Amino acid sequence: MARNELILTDVTKRFGGLTAVDALSFKVEEGQIYGIIGPNGAGKTTVFNCITGIYKSEEGLVNWRGEEIRGMTPYQIVDRGIVRTFQTIRLFGQMSVAENIMSGRHIKSTQSWWHGIIPTPGKIKDELENWKKVEEQLDFFKLSEFAATPVGSLPYGIQRRVEIARAMAVEPTLLILDEPAAGLNDKETLELLETIFKIRDKGVTVLLIEHDMDMVMEVTDYLTVINFGKKIAEGTPEDIQKNPAVIEAYLGSEDDDDE
Amino acid sequence: MDTFLQQLANGLTIGSMFALVALGYTMVYGVMRLINFAHGDMVAASAFVGLTIYTQVMGQATSLVAVIVIFLLTALVMAVVGIILERLAYRPLREAPRLSAVVSALGASLVIQNGIMLIWGPRMRIFPELVPQIYWDFDGVVISMIQVIILVLSLFLMVALYLFVEKTRIGAAIRASSIDQDAARLMGINVNSVIALIFIIGSSLGAVGGLFIGLYYRGITFNMGWQYGLYAFIAAILGGIGNIPGAMLGGMLLGLFNAFIAGYVSSTWADAFTFILLILILIVRPTGILGERVAEKV
Amino acid sequence: MKELQKFAYPIFFVVMAILPHLLDDRWQAVAITFLIFAVVALSQDIILGKSGMFNMGQALFFGMGAYTTAILNNEYGWSIIATIPLAIIIPALFGILLAGPIVHLRGDYLLVVTIGFNIVFVQVLQNNLGGITGGPNGIFGLDSLRFLNFDLTSQISVYYFAFVVLLLTLWVMHNLAGSKPGRALHYLREDQLAAESIGINTRVYKIFAFGLGAGIAGLAGTVYATQYSAVSPEAFEFIQSVLFFSIVLVGGSSVPGVLIGVFVMFVLPEIFREFATWRYFIFGFAMIAAMILRPRGIWPATFGKIPKFLIKENNHGA
Repeated sequence: MARNELILTDVTKRFGGLTAVDALSFKVEEGQIYGIIGPNGAGKTTVFNCITGIYKSEEGLVNWRGEEIRGMTPYQIVDRGIVRTFQTIRLFGQMSVAENIMSGRHIKSTQSWWHGIIPTPGKIKDELENWKKVEEQLDFFKLSEFAATPVGSLPYGIQRRVEIARAMAVEPTLLILDEPAAGLNDKETLELLETIFKIRDKGVTVLLIEHDMDMVMEVTDYLTVINFGKKIAEGTPEDIQKNPAVIEAYLGSEDDDDE
Repeated sequence: MDTFLQQLANGLTIGSMFALVALGYTMVYGVMRLINFAHGDMVAASAFVGLTIYTQVMGQATSLVAVIVIFLLTALVMAVVGIILERLAYRPLREAPRLSAVVSALGASLVIQNGIMLIWGPRMRIFPELVPQIYWDFDGVVISMIQVIILVLSLFLMVALYLFVEKTRIGAAIRASSIDQDAARLMGINVNSVIALIFIIGSSLGAVGGLFIGLYYRGITFNMGWQYGLYAFIAAILGGIGNIPGAMLGGMLLGLFNAFIAGYVSSTWADAFTFILLILILIVRPTGILGERVAEKV
Repeated sequence: MKELQKFAYPIFFVVMAILPHLLDDRWQAVAITFLIFAVVALSQDIILGKSGMFNMGQALFFGMGAYTTAILNNEYGWSIIATIPLAIIIPALFGILLAGPIVHLRGDYLLVVTIGFNIVFVQVLQNNLGGITGGPNGIFGLDSLRFLNFDLTSQISVYYFAFVVLLLTLWVMHNLAGSKPGRALHYLREDQLAAESIGINTRVYKIFAFGLGAGIAGLAGTVYATQYSAVSPEAFEFIQSVLFFSIVLVGGSSVPGVLIGVFVMFVLPEIFREFATWRYFIFGFAMIAAMILRPRGIWPATFGKIPKFLIKENNHGA
């Protein structure tokens, strides 16, 4: 029985002459809240893109639950229990909150292509079950009042919640959050923190990129610090805070780097 | 060998005309991401405008000076029409979804096409003999003066355009606007002027192309723009949309290919083969032969 | 307004059901063509409106269905009704086959390739490939509808045939909307990367959209063949694809939108037939104006159709 662990080994991603990720290795254990931090442009989102199938790294191994997922397409990786959110929030703008979250149920739905043409009792049942799951997420993320609202018209903070709700609707084993606190005010960031803990309590492993240092120190169990695509340190938040290499990398930018 | 050389000559001639027209498409697409479906009809209109300038303005004179004046006046008229077209049908849709502008372009195409029909009638008109009908016979391969003029003038215009876009400051403004309109604006480039300019250039080149079509084929009809425009657009895509040398290359290749298929295989299958070639090229090389020159937002 | 909407569909159906008895021959023919084009336009909407793929070759599939019926009936003596399954399946298979290598292409390139397919198709028809497509004159002298030993030769019966096909198509569109594949098309149109990243195999669904759109257009082709008892290449030229393309964009990607689109783009020019020389000139301006005033179409797509139990008390509705 393979453990729910994500193991990167010597992952390298190049864009032409630029090495964005350089022989990066780290391991995310089941149930952790794992953080990837580093100065701007360090390659953090690129690493995430390599894990989730948007890029294929040139070298290295990406192992999830004992299976090599490097080179798979994004939807195949979602099928294996890894779901991500985006730094810039990529929701389906014209559609309502509920419909956006429903997209997270796509991979769980048992309908086939012909159900788009002819309804069967099985399809009707499947629809109902999945909308009920959407309701669960709406309740969990306190989005019920916005169920029918077009997502594009909502404030940024609420859109963030919708994106995470959408990801959670997939019932992931590993949730990858790319700068979830970006653009949030202090109160919203606090709520986000609590939400992440609640998500972990549900048994989901969390891997996140964040710039907000206060939040990172509060919420993560373990960190890897990247600069120029290379790992410069790893350890618990307390260790990292005292690490000289990390301090140097962040020289002058130890404060919040709000977008 | 005769047929080969003959088709080569024909192909280069037709290709030059395709290239001139293709440039109009590619420049507009490069900056505005818009397929100017009305361009083909503008080209057709040029032939008719040229015809009228010849009969009404120049009193049917065919001296070299007169011919040059006809070309210049036609280009001027079409440039003005191009500006009007842009203002009326495209500028209001700058912020709209891209496909809306496509439909507007289709509407403009209808307007121009039927405008031609309303003014000049639905029947075919004969384009005047502005160029002396001189032929040279090289051992069975016939080349006309018209072909030589088309080839030489087209080449000259294409090289001039290339140098203009690559080497001048205004050309740099055009290239910048093709890559990123907003960034260009922030750099102080007046994108509206750039767009007006590309419509002027594109329409003028199209006008020359239209006059060449009149000279070469002699018979002109109000709806010849559609088919021709489509081919020219294919040529632009073939070479890489937004890419000026690409449009030139695409035009030439398309002309050559069309001529060879018509000469060697069958003229009734010429269209089909041309499009199959296009489809295969796009499947294998989706960005065209020379690669597209538009930035993609990943 | 909501009340009106509830009655709109039943009213529409009733009107369309009694319409043929109110019209003379010429307008009956126009009405039949309205129904046929509505079906093709709805099929085009699946590919263009819902999935966001720039398809300008729908006349190809429309023609495939029509010619399938014509050839099976003319060459092999099949009854019209018997040709229907193949008239749907063959275009659908072609839709899947042709879509496969091209769905990854960027918008405008896809546009050009679909135009290319259309043109190749028409040229194949004109050149009488295999001796069965009848050349530039097409195939004529097809049988009329025979249903349960009744010869349905009147124009009114063709009208009802077309009407039934439209109802069937509307039913399929309805099923599509509230289904996993239907929603998947919307997601991949809005943001393909996000759709992929939430687990949708966008490629498969794009091909599905082409196949479904092609099949429905093929069915419309059978009705067309029945209406004229003949088929010819010019009815399926790329200019027709431009018409279907424009219908979806001018009308808007919704059922009312498409129906309005067919009316505006096809019936209106018929009404102004006397103004032969001026009608398309004015029409071109109308198209430009329509896009400037309503860039997303006269009746654009709306979202927010979610089950009632999700809409709680103080809801900020759509």
